[in-house]
Parts: sequence; structure tokens; C-alpha cells
Amino acid sequence: MSEKFSATLRIGDLSDFIAPSQACIVSLKGLKSNSTKPDKAEVSTSNKQLQRDPVKISLKDCLACSGCVTSAETVMLEKQSLDEFLSNVSKGKPIIISLSPQSRASLAVHFGISPLQVFKKLTTFLKSLGVKAVFDTSCSRDLTLIESCNEFITRYRYSQSMDDESCKSSLPMISSACPGWICYAEKQLGSYILPYISSVKSPQQIIGSIVKHHVCQELGLRPDEVYHVTVMPCYDKKLEASRDDFVFQVESRDETCENGLRTVEVDSVLTSGELLELIQLKAEDFKALEESPLDRMLTNVNEEGHLYGVNGGSGGYAETIFRYAAKTLFGRDINGPLDFRTVRNSDFQEVNLEVEGKTVLKFALCYGFRNLQNVVRKIKSGKCDYHFLEIMACPAGCLNGGGQIKSKAGQSPKELIQLLEAAYMENVLVADPFKNPLVKSLYDEWLEQPGSQKAKRFMHTDYHPVVKSITSQLHNW
Amino acid sequence: MELYEGGCDLKLLETLEGHSDRVWSLAWNPATGASGTPLVFASCSGDKTVRIWEHTPSPSATWTCKAILEDTHTRTVRSCAWSPSGKLLATASFDATTAIWENVGGDYECVSTLEGHENEVKSVSWNASGTLLATCGRDKSVWIWEMQPGNEFECVSVLQGHTQDVKMVQWHPSTDVLFSCSYDNTIKVWADDDDDWQCVQTLGEPNNGHSSTVWALTFNASGDKMVTCSDDLTLKIWETDNVQMHSGDGYAPWRHLCTLTGYHDRTIFSVHWSSGGIIASGAADDAIRFFVGNKDGLADGPSYKLLLKKEKAHDMDINSVQWSPGEKRLLASVSDDGVIKIWELVSLSTGNGY
Repeated sequence: MSEKFSATLRIGDLSDFIAPSQACIVSLKGLKSNSTKPDKAEVSTSNKQLQRDPVKISLKDCLACSGCVTSAETVMLEKQSLDEFLSNVSKGKPIIISLSPQSRASLAVHFGISPLQVFKKLTTFLKSLGVKAVFDTSCSRDLTLIESCNEFITRYRYSQSMDDESCKSSLPMISSACPGWICYAEKQLGSYILPYISSVKSPQQIIGSIVKHHVCQELGLRPDEVYHVTVMPCYDKKLEASRDDFVFQVESRDETCENGLRTVEVDSVLTSGELLELIQLKAEDFKALEESPLDRMLTNVNEEGHLYGVNGGSGGYAETIFRYAAKTLFGRDINGPLDFRTVRNSDFQEVNLEVEGKTVLKFALCYGFRNLQNVVRKIKSGKCDYHFLEIMACPAGCLNGGGQIKSKAGQSPKELIQLLEAAYMENVLVADPFKNPLVKSLYDEWLEQPGSQKAKRFMHTDYHPVVKSITSQLHNW
Repeated sequence: MELYEGGCDLKLLETLEGHSDRVWSLAWNPATGASGTPLVFASCSGDKTVRIWEHTPSPSATWTCKAILEDTHTRTVRSCAWSPSGKLLATASFDATTAIWENVGGDYECVSTLEGHENEVKSVSWNASGTLLATCGRDKSVWIWEMQPGNEFECVSVLQGHTQDVKMVQWHPSTDVLFSCSYDNTIKVWADDDDDWQCVQTLGEPNNGHSSTVWALTFNASGDKMVTCSDDLTLKIWETDNVQMHSGDGYAPWRHLCTLTGYHDRTIFSVHWSSGGIIASGAADDAIRFFVGNKDGLADGPSYKLLLKKEKAHDMDINSVQWSPGEKRLLASVSDDGVIKIWELVSLSTGNGY
């Protein structure tokens, strides 16, 4: 346990942002650097506990507690660790891995090879461990984007159609892919902000849903028989995967286990850094590995072997929805790059569409805690005139996620971000999500159309304000 | 003749009662005390209120409570600070908010509430131009807010760097460099590097820093020296290169100059450097002490000597001592005993402070 903890501490200073607070319901000896130094009794604090045994807290505890904002890096990630992954490998369960494009870029920069080479070599490496398939979350992200476009149009039309109180909470629509933001919104902000958040699941949970609800059926496997692992740039994705909303009852044809098995869409999340750790653990000379063909079933790779996807290191939500809304609502085709304008700092940019001198679309990218704070305050006071906000908790967005591989000695964080941004779109053809043949066939075979009942059931989710626990209130007395 | 050459005394002018719980902090309005404007200060307390006190000119020459700011903060008000113009008062509370009050014809109106800290806000400070506000608290973070038109405040930075409760934030008197001190025993210096604020220096135990909680810090008039006070029973003087600091030629680092040890035997909660160069300290032993630069000892490097120790200045811990603006050497002190005391430091040889 303790050696695992130090591994998480190594990334602890990556300001992914707030560490477990004093109000954590579990006494985290050692996690919170408890000091017994006398302090003037300004307020009663809970940091006088001295407990010698390590305390286990599950991510479920974390999600239920209102004590912290986000905490994933510094808590013990029992279910979500490399050890857990390796133990499942040795059990011989069919394993499917879904790799995020941000993690691909992180490894590409680390090894100094292209992201496509990374993807192919990783396929070789992971299959040598017994992994059945390696997929790409850019594919499920296209589905997230299509559902988000559809949701935006619905919300926008609703906000225009009526003038009463109820449509006030339809805009701005806020992206839902960042689990740090979701956690903060549920725990610190509560019910006033949640209606604004897109109900569409993140690419991680969408690929989880596809794998467990669709691919398993195609393969003739029960969802609980497959161990599905995602590789993400972010520790908070582990929290996301642990949400109760993503646990489901296995529908079994076998009458005997009718209220039996519950399983999850994503069984485990590894960060880019943990994947590198795995490579190093197996002492692989990664660059010397063969390049295997990619698993085309859920990977954005075309006939010629080129990767494709959308622009934007944090998923391209604002850009994709902006273009779609401009076309759908106002008949405007926007060619060339969008004219994002830096507002306060490089992590806050906005783009507008004017029709007949009137601003009809106003979108913003809003990364990092400080910018997030300001838009939230604006929404609270009713002064927010944005139609869509792409909010990410990390400064510089997902490429700078807390789970990414750290910069090398002598390399500044800024230099690393620039390298990651360049690597991210290297080998990737920019493609419209609506034209993705894999996603098209998922709709044709399974989901019907964007926003359908089936799509709502499998591709959307809910948010719940976390009620302040009595314990955390007592600590805050 | 310097005040202290003939010895001096601390004369109690008035004891102000009104707060119903311990008084945590006070702030003199910097725009008062000159050209006929009567002195004004604000005090804040565990009773959740802020009181505004004004000096009534002769003949009675007493202090009156002109306003009570209540029903806004729901818990202890820990710290307060006037904007440089004296028009706005910021108050930091354990209710996790910072309130901004505007003086509208003698009435104080809460014009903005800054939310964001996870829990108790411990300190608030305005920069020299009054455009930036800093707050800090038990959530270990330091926040920088920028004032926008219409009393709007935007968060420009959330700084995570301290590993414990941050006790105080204080802007440098002339440059936009922010200082914070913490239960983690360090002082951190924060500066803007174009896009975001960064910690540019940490003054901790390895750099001759404090070995326990740092409670407060203050600057001398020219801004090239800083004094910090701590639970380790010392005051520490730090200095920087004034020329480099104002040339815009990169960050001018701070270095330890000397440590005033052996004078205190309980935690030092507050320290304030007067414009005339006298350092006042308030401590858990209920005493107020005064220190000045020692001009005799230059051969051994700079040193500071104890000018005066006022025992039993209060009945309980002294939480804050603050010199007034203006001509007179007035000092206000606040304490766990719930009262505010106004003192004058007078020279014995002339019978007054001039």
C-alpha cells in the first residue's frame, strides 16, 4: 500500500488541482500531512488524529464525500491501479484497452516517435501481455460530439422558443467530458449549475458503453466477462469510471441469475504515466517493438492506414458544436480554422458568430480553475451570455492532464505542452464526426439516430449534487 | 533627536469596547488622518461583525463606533483591509467568503461577495494600486482577484503551493508582488509571469527561515525590507535589492538579514513596521514590543534592538497591532479579550512624540 502511495505522490505536485481537504470523511493518516504542531485555536480542525495503520478509501467513498473537490491523485486507488490490471491479466480474462489520443501524444513525445507508431507498438506490446483488442477513444469521442451537437441544437432552440424561467437553465450548455469539473460542480456548486451540464457521457464512458453493451453482444460474451481498461491523460477519469451511474445490471438470457451480476462500463483506468510504468516494468525496449496493425473495430483509422479525428487537445467540443450549430441553425459553412480570441489569458478563449450584426453564437474554451471560477460566478449571477462552454479543470486542457508523463529534466512545462500539441495532430487527418463510418454503423445497427431513446439510454447520464455530509460540516464548524 | 534616544513610553489613549467576542484584526483607513480628515479604522471579530471607528476631533477627542457591518458574514470575520483610496473595505470570513463594502455617505453597503475558497478565509490584502485583491485560507490556497468596473471581481489566479493553512497575504507596498505566510512555516513570494502567477521564491527553514508557523509579515516604508513573525518566537528581517526591484530587470530575490531572538517567549501573532521605522509586535504573552534599527552596531552588520516592552497591554493574546497613518505615532491593538486599545508611543524626553 505504501509504495503504491508514493507512486501517486510523485504526481501529486502536478497541480491537477485540489488535494483531499481537511473535511475528508476518512482520516487519511499520511495522506494529509498531519502535523501536531500547536496552532492557535482559530477553528476546530480535524488534523489532530493520529492513526498508525494506513486507511483504505475507495473511490466510491470519495464520490460520496463532500469533503474534497477533486482528490483522485492523492487517494489510494485500490481498484484502479497497475497491480489490479496485472492481476486481471494473469487471470486470463479477455481484456480490451481503449487508448485516448492525449495519452498517445504523451507517449509519442516521451519516446520521440510518431503517435501512429506509438499506437501500433502499443498494440504489439499489450497483445503480448494477452490483451484482446486495443481501441481508440477518438472513435467514441465522435459519438460524444454528435450527441452533444444534437443536444446543443435542442437546448438552443428551446432557449429561443420560450421566454420563461425554465428555459434559463438550457444555456449555456457546458461540456461534460472533464471529470474534475463534474466532481467540482457536484460537490462545491450543486444544483444551480448541474442543469447546464451536457447530459452526454464522456468519450471514456461512451466507449465503455459501446464495449459492454454492444461489442460484447457481437462477440457473444457477457459484459462482466470482459475486463475493459481505458488509458487516459487524467487521474480524475478513475473517479468517473467509479460512478454509480455507470454501473449496470447484466441482462442475462440465463434465467438463473436474473438479479445477479452488476458490472461497469470501464473496469479500470490507467493514466499515460501508469502505462509508461507498465512498459518499463516489463523492461520493453518500446521503440524497438514491431508495429502491429490497429484494431479497426473501434479505432479512427481509414483504409489507407491514416488516423483521423477532430481538432483540439481537449476534445474539440466547442469547435465541433460551433461549426455544426452555425450550419444547422444559421446555414453558415465555416471554412478554415475558427477565430478563437484570447480573452483574459491563453486558457480563456472565445469565438462568436454574427448574423446581421447580431451575435448569435458565443462559445468559449475555459481551462483551469481560475477561469472556471469566473464563468461559474457569471452563471450564478445570471450574467453569463455564452451559449456553450468547453470547461476543463486543468490549465491548458487535457493534454496537460495530471496523468500525463512528466516533463524531462530541463524541459519546462510550457515546452512540453507545445510538443504535445504538435504531436497530438501529427498523423491525424481532421475529419467530421458525422462522417465517421464506425459511428454511422453504430447508429445504424444499434442506436438508431442521435438523441433517440436508445442513444439517451446508453450515451447520456445524470448529475447529482453531493449533499454536505454532517462530518464535513462538523469539521468546517 | 530621535524619539528613542531619551527613552519612551506607550501611553494608553483609549479602550474601545463593543465586540462581543475576540477581536481578530483591524485596519486603518489609509485615506484618513491627513488634511483634516479624522482617522478611521475597521475592526473585525469572532462575533461575525465588523465595526468602523472614527476619531472625533477635540475637545473630547474620543473614538466612536460609526457603523456595524453585520448580517452578511455568517461566521468569524478574520481579517479586513481598506483599498488604497479608502473607499472600499474587504472583509475575509470563516464562512468561506470575502465581502467588499463600499462607503456610501457613511453607510457601508456590501457591493460584492467573493466566493471560491473551500472553507475559512484567513486574510485579505489590496495591492498598491487597488486593482488586485489577494485572499488566502485554510484550504491552503492563495487567490488573486482583479477588480472590474461595477464592483465586479474576476479571479485571475488560484495558487497552490503552501502545504498547510495560509495565515496571511500581503502585497508589497509598491510593486505587484504578493507575499503569503503559512502554518507550513514558509513565506512564499508570488509574481506575475505574463500569463499566470507563479511562486518565485520560498523563504523556509533552509534559507534561515522560521521553524514554526509564520503568522504575519510587514514591510518598511521603502519596501526593501520585510519583517516576519512566528510561532518559533522570533522576528526575522529580510531584505532585497531596491534598485533591481524597481528597474523591472527581473525578480529581485529576498534574503535573510537577521533574526530577533530572545525577546519573545510566546507565539508572535502580529507585526507591523511604522513609516518612521519602528517595528511593533503583538504576542500571545499579552505584551506589545517595539524594535528599532540599532545604529551603533553597524560593525557587526545590521541589528535591531528592543526599544520598549509593554507588559499586560491586554488581558489575553494580542492578535493584531497596527500603526495609524498620519503624523502621530498611534498604534491600535486588538485581542482575544474583546477590546481594542489605542496607544501613543511618546518620547520621555519631550513628553510627546514629535
